[in-house]
Amino acid sequence: MARQILPVADRAQVRAYARRLTLKYPRQLGGALGLHVLAAISGLAGPVVLGNLVQAVSEGTSIDLDTLVLAFAGFMIAQAVLTRFAVYASSALGERVLAELREEFVDQVLALPLSTVERAGSGDLITRTSRDVDALSRTVRQAVPETLIAVVTGVFMLGGLLIVAPLLSLPSLVAVPLLWISTRWYLKRARDGYLRENAAYADMTEGLAETVEGARTVEALGLRERRRVRTDTDIARSFAAESYTLGLRMVWFPAVELGYVIPIVATALVGGLLYIEGWVTIAQTTTAILYIQQLIDPLDRLLSWIDELQVGGASMARLLGVANVSDDRVATGVQADGEDLRATGVRYAYRDGHDVLHGIDLDIRPGERLAMVGPSGAGKSTLGRLLAGIHPPRTGAVTVGGAPLVELPLDELRGHVALVTQEHHVFRGTLRDNVLIARPDATDEEVRRVLEAVDAWEWVSAMGLDTVVGSGGAAVSPAHAQQLALARLVLADPHTLVLDEATSLIDPRAARNLERSLAAVLDGRTVIAIAHRLYTAHDADRVAVVEDGLISELGSHHELVAAKGAYAALWDSWHGKSR
Amino acid sequence: MRALPVPDPGTPDTRSPSRYLWWTMRTQWRPLVIGIGFAILWWLGQALVPYVIGAAVNAFTAKDSGALVRWSAVLLGLGGVQAVSGVLRHRFAVITWLSAAYRTVQVTGRQATRLGATLPKRLSTGEVVSVGNSDIASIGNALDIMLRGSGALVAIVVVTVILLSSSLPLGLMVLIGVPVMVAAVAPLLKPLHHRQQRQRDLYGDMATRAADIVVGLRVLRGIGGEQVFADRYREESQRTRQAGVRVASMESLLEGMQILLPGLLVAAVTWLGARFALDGQISGGDLVAFYGYAVFLIAPLRTLTEAADKLTKGHVAARRVCRILNLDPEITGGALAVPDGPLADRESGVVVRPGLLIALAAADAEDAIAIADRLGHYTPGDVTLDGMPVADLDFAALRQRVLVADNAAKLFSGRLRDELDVRGAARDDDLARALHTACALDIVEALPDGLDTEIAEAGREFSGGQQQRLRLVRALLADPEILILVEPTSAVDAHTEARIAERLGKARAGRTTLVCTTSPLVLDRADLVLYVADGEVRSEGTHRELLQADPGYRSTVTRGED
Repeated sequence: MARQILPVADRAQVRAYARRLTLKYPRQLGGALGLHVLAAISGLAGPVVLGNLVQAVSEGTSIDLDTLVLAFAGFMIAQAVLTRFAVYASSALGERVLAELREEFVDQVLALPLSTVERAGSGDLITRTSRDVDALSRTVRQAVPETLIAVVTGVFMLGGLLIVAPLLSLPSLVAVPLLWISTRWYLKRARDGYLRENAAYADMTEGLAETVEGARTVEALGLRERRRVRTDTDIARSFAAESYTLGLRMVWFPAVELGYVIPIVATALVGGLLYIEGWVTIAQTTTAILYIQQLIDPLDRLLSWIDELQVGGASMARLLGVANVSDDRVATGVQADGEDLRATGVRYAYRDGHDVLHGIDLDIRPGERLAMVGPSGAGKSTLGRLLAGIHPPRTGAVTVGGAPLVELPLDELRGHVALVTQEHHVFRGTLRDNVLIARPDATDEEVRRVLEAVDAWEWVSAMGLDTVVGSGGAAVSPAHAQQLALARLVLADPHTLVLDEATSLIDPRAARNLERSLAAVLDGRTVIAIAHRLYTAHDADRVAVVEDGLISELGSHHELVAAKGAYAALWDSWHGKSR
Repeated sequence: MRALPVPDPGTPDTRSPSRYLWWTMRTQWRPLVIGIGFAILWWLGQALVPYVIGAAVNAFTAKDSGALVRWSAVLLGLGGVQAVSGVLRHRFAVITWLSAAYRTVQVTGRQATRLGATLPKRLSTGEVVSVGNSDIASIGNALDIMLRGSGALVAIVVVTVILLSSSLPLGLMVLIGVPVMVAAVAPLLKPLHHRQQRQRDLYGDMATRAADIVVGLRVLRGIGGEQVFADRYREESQRTRQAGVRVASMESLLEGMQILLPGLLVAAVTWLGARFALDGQISGGDLVAFYGYAVFLIAPLRTLTEAADKLTKGHVAARRVCRILNLDPEITGGALAVPDGPLADRESGVVVRPGLLIALAAADAEDAIAIADRLGHYTPGDVTLDGMPVADLDFAALRQRVLVADNAAKLFSGRLRDELDVRGAARDDDLARALHTACALDIVEALPDGLDTEIAEAGREFSGGQQQRLRLVRALLADPEILILVEPTSAVDAHTEARIAERLGKARAGRTTLVCTTSPLVLDRADLVLYVADGEVRSEGTHRELLQADPGYRSTVTRGED
């Protein structure tokens, strides 16, 4: 289960939003509702006709059968035509609202503050984007129109009954408490039950997928028995969840089925007795029985979609919650004067009281190449993110041309400094699209130039710039993906680049070539490279050794080797010299 | 209710998809048969309602209050039968569904572990994952519909008999009219399914785009490009919306037809019935009953259509499952006991001598992987252990003895402690030692519950370097006699790599270890280095000796930086 990091909207917010959506297209909504109402009214004719026929047959009165049946058929046709347009109108409206909802959501995702994106990971957001958008689609496309139709049809059928035989609407009320109580009992438990059921089912299928994807690992480590146990445990959990909801239905289903039949029995019995007593006519009784029988359908629809509405509401709360993330940067209007990047007295903590950087001072000279090395966990990546203006320091300042990075508007920040991490995501689209992301107006010639700069032109031109890659497209190896990420950055052309292990997945020898040709293109730009391999440090102008949240050594490669500190020791062992 | 899963799913009959489906039925014939019984009862309960309502109408029009009370009681009883049989039918349907689906998961999962390293060579992941995502549900549905389907068939027969015995012309009208009506909407179904498919495809594309945006969000927010992606998403969203409206136009047409056609039939039945009734051939109650039958019959006929569809889909799903179940592992072993001694690959000349930490530096990274796979007996080769061909050795024991740990190995979801200690034999200090050796303590310390943290599948919350270190911890804890590590430090930084290299020898003291790497930090710590070029061992010695003696070696490990 992905940890939930992003906020969720509260009830009032969801309600207000639903209300706003409902009222946004009053004409379309009014039209759809009107059509549904007319369709429901046309559907009231059948039982009345049949009631009168039965009365005529039983009492031997004369009747104009042909006209009556023709009228009946006419109403049927009207109901069919009206329903067709009513369903169409409400579905079209639903599609429109749904499209707006998801587009707004994606806009909000794309506007999430950098610091949230960096921290939150993608699990929670992916769940919202896939499962919650799906659930909401189901709700808007099916549950909302079905309940709407059910309510309209049901209300008008009851209205018809009240007009035709007001007295006979009473017997069916005996079933109301049964339906009410059992449904409330069920709904209170159903939602959690089904959520658990779905989660357990998803765990089971994911467990199977894991076994399959890791089949070789299973064989290598002898995990066969463990995977078997895992599968069976997942199944047992799924079965427990399924048994729980089945148990709920074992109570609720018979209750509602009885709740449907009791009104028919009551109406037939009471109606028949009232007729025998002379209070109502045969036509009234027959019509009432048929109405009540036909009422089952909308009632059943309503009850079966109610819990789906609940699920949709919960999904909507999670989608709307994304908008509740407050912006982390406030543009104060400061202007950067120059391009020199400077960190002074920088401290930073992810958790209160646990500083990972303990007062860093670093002046980066415009146009220099600085390599940061140090053991994992020392704070290199954190410092890189601060230098890229993603997080504000807890104390101290990171400034470009005297202006704090986090006070610059995002667009301007990107003109100054950009960060590339070892993440190697390839977007779905053509290879060209993948490079053009930051500058959609670049020409093919420019694309070629930046791809050459990252040693990628050879394989890209072999595949063709128009080849579709990413999910569902041609495969791109992680190493190639890193080259694309770098090409993108070169095309974006900020004056300072922070590379966080940006070549770590590329074969070491190729990586070195790449870094050299990259250096040629980036000549004059400031490059801060969090290095993975020592030759990156060797090739840089200056090397900063980061240890335990502090810069312990700073200087050119030769200075540091001469200083015989930690860096020198590492370098020596790399070269197999004496330690 | 018997608890699921069954401990042993049994041996499926995979000779054909139909036989597989038949096997899933046979393994649970009891709930299936009982369920069919309840389904029949449930349908009959519904089929008889029009008859009873007709009788009740007859009773009160004849002012016979005794009969009215009796028929009302029968109606209530019928309702009770429906309620009870309906819910029991549902219960057995769920059990049947689950048991077929679970059994399929069990046999597929067991087959995947049986195939092991053969699986990725013979099947695409998508193929097997679709078993989990859709095929098990399709097979479950195929079994589930057996219950309702058989009941529907019986209901149709019963209503037919009642209708024909009450009035031949009216009965014929209903019996011919209802199937014609159901068939009349059939031409709409194909274009509807077509449009639905298109809508689903577009929706899938759009969902993929959204996921793409989320996964690549750091990049987009880092260097810009949000607007381009927002526009693309909007475009796909609007296309999906239009496809949805096109589906709705077809669906609403179908909905209209489904009111119109039965409506016209009911009108016709009412007209003919009323004529007979006015002539005195049938009673008013019978008229109401005929009306009821015409309305009722639609449901079982739809169920039969649904059954045909679900059985077809179940068959397709069963075919995919059978294809997977019919594969056999490519590599198997013999029966001989696994000896101690040197592990040798004749093709390359690599000999892994016991008790040493040996490093293999290959000029071409592919060579190292190929040699590791042959030594581990993942691909066929001329490989011997203490002079005996590995192909003749007991397979499970060989796997236990020789572990090839490469970077394609997967981390599984679960409690971190369990996923690292796969043999389940490690004590706390073993764990601490392995974490220390792989420099992975900081990873564990950053987790909210340390070693007890539940980790996601494929360890996707960890960075590449973290995953690599955790895999190394796992391999060290498995503690095989012979451990073959393929590029175990390629994704960690130089400082960390130096520490791991220093600690590895100590951690594996007394055991045999082969490390495939080109990192000088690691090579420098090995007892012996084998340099492989063009698939063969070119020279051997210590790192320093080779640096002096072999220019090819030097350029491989120093990446030409002198």
